[in-house]
Amino acid sequence: MPKKSGRRPPEAEALNINSMMDMMTIILVFLLKSYSTTDVSVAPSDELKLPVSTTQVPIKEVAVNLVVAKNQIVVDGAPVVSLTTVPDEDRPGQEIIAVPEDELRGQAISKLYDRLLEKAEAAKALGNKSGREEFEFKGQIYLQVDRDMPFSVIRTVMYTAGQAQFGQFKFIVYKME
Amino acid sequence: MAVKRRTEDEQDLNLTPIMNLVTILIPFLIMAAQFVHLAVIDSTLPAIGPPTEQDPDEKPPLNLSLALTEKGVMVLGADAVLHPEGAPEKPAEGEEILPTVPCKSGGTCTDAEDYDWPQLIKILGEIKDQYPDDENVIIVPGHRIRYEVIVMAMDASREDKGNLGEDGTARILFPYVVIAGGA
Repeated sequence: MPKKSGRRPPEAEALNINSMMDMMTIILVFLLKSYSTTDVSVAPSDELKLPVSTTQVPIKEVAVNLVVAKNQIVVDGAPVVSLTTVPDEDRPGQEIIAVPEDELRGQAISKLYDRLLEKAEAAKALGNKSGREEFEFKGQIYLQVDRDMPFSVIRTVMYTAGQAQFGQFKFIVYKME
Repeated sequence: MAVKRRTEDEQDLNLTPIMNLVTILIPFLIMAAQFVHLAVIDSTLPAIGPPTEQDPDEKPPLNLSLALTEKGVMVLGADAVLHPEGAPEKPAEGEEILPTVPCKSGGTCTDAEDYDWPQLIKILGEIKDQYPDDENVIIVPGHRIRYEVIVMAMDASREDKGNLGEDGTARILFPYVVIAGGA
């Protein structure tokens, strides 16, 4: 029978989590620095790529959020109108994004006008109820527009928003660092 | 020398509750983190109103407009600065009006970078020298002009980053932009 050694077997050591704590603390500080409570959120996709600008004006006020992507127009997260592509009359063989003819009422987009008017009335009612200046309806609207969108579509959207009492446009862009 | 004998093991600090807290905080902060910075460009619809009477002795007001075309940028309403010897003759019928700032490639601009923005900023700086109190510009894009080009035109007319003041800030040109319906 082998002779037992006099030493005790080593105790199971506890997992050392100090280095993991260091890593977590660094991540926590980085994420706290990137923390943002902006009202506007952008969901980049193939259909919506915002342009880059040198403007430094931050997003402050709460306003209606209108997205003009390549395939549709969205108001506060709810799709309103689908966009289409039509042959470009001046350039044979090429196509251009356009608002479907049956969605237009005069120069305005009928469904978009109705939705924005609802938003304007709701914002006015809220402003009157609160009685505070910061909630007063000022006709402000955030516009997120795809960088390849032709001005013909933007003009129609702006005209429609103007008819629905939104006259102050705030174009959302990526800030150049 | 007397040797101090360890009577009991040193207790490690229990970090598990802090780990739990941090593990919960990290997903929450990832959701609220903003990795790209957003900014805003303010613009309004053109105002409609009766024309104001102009004193004949006063300096005529600047109605600066930038017409964005596929061949370049036309600077309108600033003939007093751009053509002090008198406005250029109108082109003959059927003849094309040349842009004030043509595309770098000469013909039709291929993309937003093909527009000669430094040259436009230089011209706007000359206009600002003559009209230091004026801050408005009307941008009139053509119907096929892409949004990216409009944003770059707004950037060019807002400030001259190559001309820094004593305090290190860029020279302000025409920061108040109105977008008007183009042709």
